[in-house]
Amino acid sequence: MLEVAIIGVGWAGSKSCTPDLSFQEMVYEAAVKAYADANVNPQVDVDAFISADEDYWAGYSIFEEYVPDQLGAVLKPTWHITGDGLHALINAYMMIRSNLFEVVVVESHSKASDILSYAGIIQHATDPVYVKPLGGHPFYIAGLEMRRYLYETGVSEEQCAQVVVKNKRNAIFNPNAAYPAELTVEDVLNSPYVFSPLKALEVSSTAEGAIVMVLASGDVARRLTDVPIWVRGVGWAIDTPNLDGRDWGRAVYVEVAADMAYKMAGITNPRRQIHVAEVDDKFSYKELQHVEALRLCTRGEAGELLEAGSFYVNGELPVNPSGGCLGVGNLLEACGLSRALEVVLQLRGQAQGRQVEDAKVGVAQTWRGIPTTSGAVVVLSTEG
Amino acid sequence: MFEKLTRVTDVKHEIGDMAVVYRYTAGIAGERFFLEIKENARFIGTQCVKCNVTYVPPRIYCERCFENIENAWVDVGKRGVVHTYSVAYIDENGKRLDKPIVWAFIRIANGGLIHMIDEVDPKDVKIGMVVEPAFKDKVERIGSITDIKYFKPAS
Ligand SMILES: [Zn+2]
Repeated sequence: MLEVAIIGVGWAGSKSCTPDLSFQEMVYEAAVKAYADANVNPQVDVDAFISADEDYWAGYSIFEEYVPDQLGAVLKPTWHITGDGLHALINAYMMIRSNLFEVVVVESHSKASDILSYAGIIQHATDPVYVKPLGGHPFYIAGLEMRRYLYETGVSEEQCAQVVVKNKRNAIFNPNAAYPAELTVEDVLNSPYVFSPLKALEVSSTAEGAIVMVLASGDVARRLTDVPIWVRGVGWAIDTPNLDGRDWGRAVYVEVAADMAYKMAGITNPRRQIHVAEVDDKFSYKELQHVEALRLCTRGEAGELLEAGSFYVNGELPVNPSGGCLGVGNLLEACGLSRALEVVLQLRGQAQGRQVEDAKVGVAQTWRGIPTTSGAVVVLSTEG
Repeated sequence: MFEKLTRVTDVKHEIGDMAVVYRYTAGIAGERFFLEIKENARFIGTQCVKCNVTYVPPRIYCERCFENIENAWVDVGKRGVVHTYSVAYIDENGKRLDKPIVWAFIRIANGGLIHMIDEVDPKDVKIGMVVEPAFKDKVERIGSITDIKYFKPAS
């Protein structure tokens, strides 16, 4: 079987805002670091490039035309997908597995402070006939999900608040995080309701940054690096877009994506076989819901495990040692690569003050946010 | 390059926007759904007999088994059940609302609608509460989801 490894990573940010840099300059910074890390020259050694973004976030129609130059990809096979960066990584994995390409680069970024109508774009993503005409800030959909999730599982508002405390604290030890903080559960519970039961501090703030990764076939990976991180399994799924047909309490899209990735990776007991998890936490409750969907615990168990300390960096199953979206920041379509970046650093033993001991297998999961049910899962390992 | 920037507007930038307008077609299923609301102030759905599922809003295909169900119309009554709800305190511009809005997903048959709930103290809204629509007067109805002003506790 053809093996695929991540052989280089580079990043710029994450910062709450980067007023001096254009998105191209941020991507260039991340790309230069990634190519140095992978020991490749983009114009000579890289066979193809993929970027992931959403035109509305970028603020350009047909954004793919603006992809090549800052990556060193002019006149090279390049494409752009509307999706999360983890979808781009999965595409690169498939291109290399197809044996048509040996080295493929993926990129995603966020220049969120350029977006002057953030809520409007999300509102525009809701159904234009049945939902959008009602108006309102579309994050009420997160409030609806959270209420039902708590109702069905017995997870408490306090436990959701503790996700924020944990992740913002983890971010203190991550120099690439935009929103580190030392908070108490009371601080979170006392922040005002925005879309009850969701409180202000439970909503991740947008941030800016760029992430570039270099993937290669097994032979090339072994030649270029001593620390290849192997892509062992990939999965993705989208539930129905219709709010009347989806499951309000469960992240079924992640259950399906995880099952696909685990089967490919030969993971039969995720809780035992996975040592570190980076999961989407754009809203506090999503971390717990996603941990359950990833089969890292049983349904309804995530809140108690969090309280027992299991998800802390020194716990039984560290979740979001990077700080997650709550701590690093919501990097829009770069969220998935932000999760994968942390897993790579953890498996390489380069996570410094937040290093998880003996992490050999990790999982990165993403979700494209309200109002989507679009998720992706990647299993990474130090062993091919 | 820049020092101590505290306002993003201090750097060179261009403001750009685009005026784009769309016309979203409701389709065969949507047309009938909204016509029933406009003319008769009631909800209809479509049923997949094979899956034993009734879609509200209606579809002409079953998303579970992919069968064509465009002739399987059923009256689903007016009432629904609050499946989940959320009180919104801020508007789409991030401003605090003078009067918070109660949003809910209201289960009707196997589907349901997103809408607002009113004529009840937000504190008294519960999952499982039976609600019914408050329609606009017939002359004001245009065949839109906004023909329903809000849902309220069932009488
Ligand atoms: Zn069916």
